Amino acid sequence: MLSAEGLDLGHRLRSVSFSLEPGLMVAVVGPNGAGKSTLLQVLAGLLRARGRIRWDGRELARIPFLERGRTLAWLGQDSHAEFDFPVREVVAQGRYAWGDDGHGVEDALDALDLRHLAARPITQLSGGERRRVFLARALATGAPLQLWDEPTGNLDVRHGLEVLKLASGLAAQGSTLLVSLHDLRNAFCFHRVLVLDQGRLVGFGAPQEVLTPALIQAVFRVRAREAPGLVLELPD
Amino acid sequence: MTARPRVLPLAATGLLVAILLAAAIASLALGDANLRPAEVLRALAGRGDDLARTVVWDLRLPRTLVGMAVGAGLAASGVAMQAYFRNALASPGLLGVSSGGALGAVAVLALGGASASLWTVPAASILGAFAATAAVMMLARRGASSEHLLLSGVALNAIFGAGTSFLLALSAGQFQVSGQILFWLMGGLENRTWEHVWISLPAILLGCGLLLPLGRGLNLLSLGEASAQSLGVDVRRLRWQLIVLSTVLTALATAVGGIVGFVGLLVPHLLRLGFGPDHRRLLPLSMLGGAALVLLCDLPTRFLPGSMRLGVITALVGGPFLLWMLRKKPC
Repeated sequence: MLSAEGLDLGHRLRSVSFSLEPGLMVAVVGPNGAGKSTLLQVLAGLLRARGRIRWDGRELARIPFLERGRTLAWLGQDSHAEFDFPVREVVAQGRYAWGDDGHGVEDALDALDLRHLAARPITQLSGGERRRVFLARALATGAPLQLWDEPTGNLDVRHGLEVLKLASGLAAQGSTLLVSLHDLRNAFCFHRVLVLDQGRLVGFGAPQEVLTPALIQAVFRVRAREAPGLVLELPD
Repeated sequence: MTARPRVLPLAATGLLVAILLAAAIASLALGDANLRPAEVLRALAGRGDDLARTVVWDLRLPRTLVGMAVGAGLAASGVAMQAYFRNALASPGLLGVSSGGALGAVAVLALGGASASLWTVPAASILGAFAATAAVMMLARRGASSEHLLLSGVALNAIFGAGTSFLLALSAGQFQVSGQILFWLMGGLENRTWEHVWISLPAILLGCGLLLPLGRGLNLLSLGEASAQSLGVDVRRLRWQLIVLSTVLTALATAVGGIVGFVGLLVPHLLRLGFGPDHRRLLPLSMLGGAALVLLCDLPTRFLPGSMRLGVITALVGGPFLLWMLRKKPC
């Protein structure tokens, strides 16, 4: 169980509090600069903020580095790679905190459709492919708390949907996922949605209840209306 | 496209050790009095004629050991800096750390402090190198673009170079002092004694030994600081270890060898091309490769005019190499 109490970081986060039972997949949405990435970085212990984050009753900041590496996985937005590590080696880095036991690395490669790229140097991949490699690395940690900052960012439609499916599979196994998104339509396949605006938590709950046209208009300044259109989904 | 074939680390290590041994024997054998390899080995074992023993033990062995220490230290330092800055162009020479160390050493020489103790010059060199490292860290944050990093290095090299030139001009009248200063600027292994070996070799070996176990952490760090931390690396601690070790290694190498450029850039880069970027492999291979490269570059200086010093040779080899790197991978 993850709980955050009064997270405060200048104007980037203002007294954000929430708590999540295990097995939930949470979409973090909000306009640019709302604090989505900041929140995920604070939860991952990469940014210090006032307030308290607890994981299973323990204060996260007090958990030693290696144990934290086994507890949470964070996927940042930066997919830059300077050195040409082969894909499999990058994914295997997810096992650092486990003494590099290689456990689950092959499964993570399969889950992100990377098997055919496993021996390729990461510097030779496209932006979307690199993103999937880093996501596979986060997956390989086997951490029960997964924090993904715009994982579907530059993925094609199919791989974007695969990632969402993967997330729901992890949640079904009891993991907690916080995933920041830009496409609000994708937020509807999450259990909860957490809406941030200028560092404030302005909505938290089931997507159908929270993402009302009124809230969308107030936060994102766009009009939301239901209309028939193209529906894209993964084949069974 | 398929992945580059990777040679077994065992074969790579064996190859580099063989090159290093060959270079060391050549370094012991060649010079004003040329010896045959068999004579070198006999002299090393304490046998053979007096002249060969004196040449090997008193002149060429210290020079060879210092050369190996300088090369290993600079190359290891280059690997650490490249991982730290996530940039394959980072190196002690280009970032100005070497010239900071040289300025420290030159200041002591110009002020006549070199005679005070054997350790004043190395100490001043370490101090200068740390000042340069601190400046680089302030000017270019990690993950900074190549452009930013290199321009910071250009600026620092210019500033330290100006200080060094000033001190050189001040001591122009004192022939011996200005000669010593020129030594620093051009880098060289002439007249190295066992004292220089004791100053540099144990500390450089220790520094390299402390760097070796950090390879795994370097792999993670070189793909991003925040992600490394989230995966369980104590990034703050690792960063400090890298800064301190790479600066001390560069400073010690500079203290006994003067400015020997491009070793920290060229060696890791070439080995990465051949054997991949895994730092657990790259660190030990670079130490071997750096030691071999410095010994090989030192050989021609024994037969060329006195002004063709070690630093000049490594620059002649490394300069074109850097241009080639820049052409291949734009900043």
